[in-house]
Amino acid sequence: MKKLIILSLMLAVAGFAYAAEKDAVHSIEIPVVKTELRAGEGMDTTEKYCSICHSLDYITMQPKFPKATWVVEVNKMIKVMGAPIPEADARVIIDYLSAQYGTGG
Amino acid sequence: MGPANFSRRNFLKAAGAVSAMAAVHGFPAELLAYERRMARFPEKTDLILLTSRPPQLETPLSYFKEMITPNEALFVRWHIANVPTSVDVNEWRLKVGGNTEKELALSLADLKKLEKVTFTAVIQCSGNGRSFFVPPVAGGEWGDGAMGNVTWTGARLRDILNSAGLKAGTVDVSFNGLDKPPLPTVPDLVKSLPVDKAMEEDLIVAYEMNGKPLTMLNGFPARLIVPGWYATYWVKSLSDITVLSKPFEGFWVKSAYRIPETDCGCVPPGTTPKKTVPINRMTTRSLIIDPSASSELTLNKPVTIMGVAFSGGRGIQDVIVSVDGGKRWEETRLGEDKGKYSWRQFFYEWRPAKPGRYALMARATDTIGESQPFEGLWNPAGYLWNKVEKTEVVVK
Ligand code: HEC
Repeated sequence: MKKLIILSLMLAVAGFAYAAEKDAVHSIEIPVVKTELRAGEGMDTTEKYCSICHSLDYITMQPKFPKATWVVEVNKMIKVMGAPIPEADARVIIDYLSAQYGTGG
Repeated sequence: MGPANFSRRNFLKAAGAVSAMAAVHGFPAELLAYERRMARFPEKTDLILLTSRPPQLETPLSYFKEMITPNEALFVRWHIANVPTSVDVNEWRLKVGGNTEKELALSLADLKKLEKVTFTAVIQCSGNGRSFFVPPVAGGEWGDGAMGNVTWTGARLRDILNSAGLKAGTVDVSFNGLDKPPLPTVPDLVKSLPVDKAMEEDLIVAYEMNGKPLTMLNGFPARLIVPGWYATYWVKSLSDITVLSKPFEGFWVKSAYRIPETDCGCVPPGTTPKKTVPINRMTTRSLIIDPSASSELTLNKPVTIMGVAFSGGRGIQDVIVSVDGGKRWEETRLGEDKGKYSWRQFFYEWRPAKPGRYALMARATDTIGESQPFEGLWNPAGYLWNKVEKTEVVVK
């Protein structure tokens, strides 16, 4: 009987130590959420470059902007954030964003 | 947690919320290029999804009926994609160095040995309300839900800095967290405070929110709390404090998070400020939570108009309410006072005596007389939003 108690005590202690060690590491797994861009000319180019550093909802959450604002944004991504986008592709992206997420102005 | 954990319900578009918001703030719904989705992230409840990588999640307004915002409902805002997802507290250290007598590497246990400080403070993103700007500005398109009222517990930043010992010539103190840029060209999120601000009594390094460890997405295991100032300074998953003898020059202080250097922090809509300064103290703000926008109320049935009000750390003097779009104003009853950094609830009993549409408005004033504008003040980055809002309801 005594043995049994000691054994279960030991188990409890071992269990506790295990829990403490496991609790020391706190982990989460961030879900992957897919965001669809609007279909249109330049969508693939936009998706390819504009999803390197962040999800595409950075684009889809924006209100409609005049083209000038999209020019500023794309240039900011290239010049300030270092987005590796060749000039010709940048033009395609700006046209796409202005057409699909723009005011038409 | 994988994509399988997204129930269909989580993905249902909160289109109602968007159209309600659009009506209240005078945007035709078509102007909003996006639709809002709900998502459930680890240790969080269903929140409004702005972005997923890095996560930006907004609190639905109904949670603000409570004095204290529950941990699982508090908004989430990260800047750069490699956010911490696993921390071993046996390994984690808060390193303190730079222009100091000593270098420190504090464990969580070390932090907890320092005098424990607890207070309630509003946490609010600089860009809360950005989606209401006219003309619109680029950034995180938050409604009113990038805020919350939380009871924080931690160690005084001043005690930490004093144990390291500041050397003469200190001007700034910078703060870095465990988040890392996705590409080396992307500026790491490092923030700084002038040393006088950093040494104020009420700044803490918090390891608890509402009596529990911080959730990972809100900055586990410890974050900076700068009560009264916008949350851009409340660096999450803090790892390094660097004491500087030269002004800090990092991107997120020198180029981002800046407001026009004018009395109102604003410029004529659509224009560029001549000079800017780092954003700092929060502006005075109030919001009607109940009844919510587009509610249908019953004729002659008493209803309590309820909301929250807070300031940049100076408490709230009073909140007045109008039910007729701002023609007549009435005093409200203020709720519990949990200190100058907490929000204050306000209540006004109303019995609508005529059917029709009503525009409910609230306007708060802080203890030094700073109040809220009736027109939205504009700045190019979409900060400091504190316009007196209109909540439209129908009485039938
Ligand atoms: C090299 C990395 C990188 C690439 C590539 C990139 N971005 Fe960004 N982008 C950023 C960072 C960093 C931010 C700031 C994130 C934050 O504060 O939450 C940002 C923010 C934004 C924002 C929010 C407004 C703002 O200026 O902060 C928009 C819109 C945006 N990006 C659009 C784009 C588009 C369109 C593309 C493709 C042309 C793109 N991004 C490619 C790094 C990048």
